[in-house]
Amino acid sequence: MALKTSVVQVSGRGANVDFAIDDTGPFDEVSERLREYLVENRRLWSSGTISVNAGRRILFRDQLSRIKGVIEAESGLTVSRFWCSPGDLDGLDAAAVAAAVAERPPEPVRSKAVEAPPSSQPEMRLPGSAGSLKGVPGEALFIKETFRSGESINYAGDVVVLADVNPGAEITADGDIVVFGCLRGLAHAGAGGDPKATVIALELESPRIQIGPHIGLAPATGQRSKTTATGPRIAYVRRRSIYVSPFTGRFARYSRGILYEG
Amino acid sequence: MKGRTIVVTSGKGGVGKTTATANIGSGLAMRGHKVVVVDTDIGLRNLDVVMGLENRIVYDLVNVIEGDCKLHQAMIRDKHKYELYLIPAAQTRDKNSIDRDQLREVCAKLEQEFDYVLMDCPAGIEQGFKNAVAAATEAIIVTTPEVSAIRDADRVIGLLEAAELHKPRLIINRINPEMVKRGDMMDMRDVVDLLAVEVLGLVPADEKTITASNRGIPVVHDKKAPSGAAFLRIAARVDGDEVPLVEVTAKSGLLSKFKGLVGLNGRAYSHA
Repeated sequence: MALKTSVVQVSGRGANVDFAIDDTGPFDEVSERLREYLVENRRLWSSGTISVNAGRRILFRDQLSRIKGVIEAESGLTVSRFWCSPGDLDGLDAAAVAAAVAERPPEPVRSKAVEAPPSSQPEMRLPGSAGSLKGVPGEALFIKETFRSGESINYAGDVVVLADVNPGAEITADGDIVVFGCLRGLAHAGAGGDPKATVIALELESPRIQIGPHIGLAPATGQRSKTTATGPRIAYVRRRSIYVSPFTGRFARYSRGILYEG
Repeated sequence: MKGRTIVVTSGKGGVGKTTATANIGSGLAMRGHKVVVVDTDIGLRNLDVVMGLENRIVYDLVNVIEGDCKLHQAMIRDKHKYELYLIPAAQTRDKNSIDRDQLREVCAKLEQEFDYVLMDCPAGIEQGFKNAVAAATEAIIVTTPEVSAIRDADRVIGLLEAAELHKPRLIINRINPEMVKRGDMMDMRDVVDLLAVEVLGLVPADEKTITASNRGIPVVHDKKAPSGAAFLRIAARVDGDEVPLVEVTAKSGLLSKFKGLVGLNGRAYSHA
């Protein structure tokens, strides 16, 4: 289904609903009209989780939380993530970008160190518990401490770990996952559905890797030790399957590798 | 005087927390310190058995917290001549009988009087673990060279870091020298690499540990036992001495024994 209105475009597939919000009008006006739209169409939904596509608009944190607040208050829906299209940034007026960057609030929390999350971040992962961090698309989250069993993170951008990821830890990222250490836990790159995402690690010993909608299980240990030595590895998707090859550079062509069967 | 409160924890059960607590406590007392060991494993107490004091229990930790007795009335002096005391856990209660503030308060009082307060933590990561961790200022992790124990130790280290108990130190317990010799045991360096914490000691598997626990005399009193010697070295390291790590090896020739003596076998177990 697709409901076309001037402010918000709603599209849904099964249980997934996307809100695309007008990205040109003044923020206050758009947010007010979004509220009106939600009140008018209240009967269309009762509860559920949605993602919001902000398009080319560069939203500040307080604006994100205002939109989230409006949607959640008026519709009973829960906003799980925001999208915007970093590719469209090129088309933006350079001055607008500069202004936005200048005004951008402090960087998100970048290490596992406990720090009070800014109020507009809907969720914040605390060490030792599952959680997620709102990402700034196009930016990477750096984690500089060992990622231990039972710890998990969900980030809307790329994730770089400058330590090991131990068995029982889980990383979910909408972008790429890069581990400068040994990856033994679970990694899910391209969690928003992007099969072009990759997982790169200095040592890759994960039993399972997910990229976009694809899942790959590592071959049995005996088989693996025969076919691979140690060294940096990249996991990527070819023909709907996950393969792992020795890493030779970000833009190298990877055609062969070990199949991680789904 | 302000003593140090150290929690001995592991995540997984049966890896030797209680044995380690009894032995490190005894070892520190043998070095002339005033030590109290507190059993926080309420409902499943056994530190008293390992120390051979089960017949002397009148009051326990829960009695202290609920105000049934004075702190000193619950302290049982060790059978040996050292300044070592035990506060036993209640056996007929459960972990929810106390909360973290109450335990913290007890430890704060003990710190005024003792050089070391050692807490034997229950297995698991629930209430009992949280109580013990909240009261401690330092942590010792006990694990065995098995994948399951290491996984749990890793989880616990993460939780300790979240609880602001930084730099826990690791004891790898029950290392089987014969299996090490055959190459069937996990490499200690792999264990240390994975957990990325400082190693406090390597304890060989030793039948004497078990017989000593059953007799109620911690093995650290038996200086001929390899595990006893290992625990004594651990106590010295807790106390701040620089004692080189001794790698666990099967009984071997004169040369390697000599190397062990002069510290050449004491590999550097470094971590990032």
